[in-house]
Amino acid sequence: MKHFVNIETNATLGCEAYLRSCIGAFCVRLNPTLEELGDIKTAVSEAVTNVVVHAYRGSSDRAIVVRGEIRDCTVYIDVVDRGCGIPDIEQARRAFYTSASTDERSGLGFTVMETFMDSLTVSNNPTGGVTVSMTKKIGCYGVAPLPSEGDLCVGAQ
Amino acid sequence: MKIDGKIEGGSLHVMLSGELDEQGCRLVRAKFDAILDSWRYGSVIVDMTELSFMDSSGIGLLIGRFKRLKSRGIPMMIANPNCTVDKIFRISGIYNLMPKLG
Repeated sequence: MKHFVNIETNATLGCEAYLRSCIGAFCVRLNPTLEELGDIKTAVSEAVTNVVVHAYRGSSDRAIVVRGEIRDCTVYIDVVDRGCGIPDIEQARRAFYTSASTDERSGLGFTVMETFMDSLTVSNNPTGGVTVSMTKKIGCYGVAPLPSEGDLCVGAQ
Repeated sequence: MKIDGKIEGGSLHVMLSGELDEQGCRLVRAKFDAILDSWRYGSVIVDMTELSFMDSSGIGLLIGRFKRLKSRGIPMMIANPNCTVDKIFRISGIYNLMPKLG
């Protein structure tokens, strides 16, 4: 069974907080540990921050799309923008590299995504912008079953 | 995002609470510097007991403060990061600059 979520919103400063929370909540059905959930939320936060800070450079009316999909015990996450793209992806992914070195940036965003997730791909879209795709297998005790009708009534009487 | 400071045993304790992401960093950066400027102390301990989230934006913020303190010869340390935050510190090698207490 496949589950999915699609969120499109404007990439304003602060959207990283609710987008990571949304994806975190979406992953709850995989019954993740707190550590796994922290990993996913942090990775999403890094990807979204890159869009807000680098792709759109602070202009807050541009769209960001975050897609999540769960298949078996794995979550697949895409973060898509229509910004300026990344001229040299290999360089951008290098630890401590930042294109904004005067701004107290650590240059660790991609390193964190790479470390916290099982896979990471970064690509420039043919029509502009960047897609960051990440996956993580959750230590999986199985996908949580849908509650039965009886369960839903508990506490509601 | 909240930040507070207090002096205890000659050290300045800086307590961060909330979520230290890009927006959180922008909210506390000036206040963090104001706290560093308003006391006399021999070391700084950044207490993360109440910090529920941090991403690499937080590393940038901490390294910025670390550099300011280093020029004055004052060491900086980290206390009580949660497990995900601890992992970011470990992969970034930041404990080489500001050791973890305990």
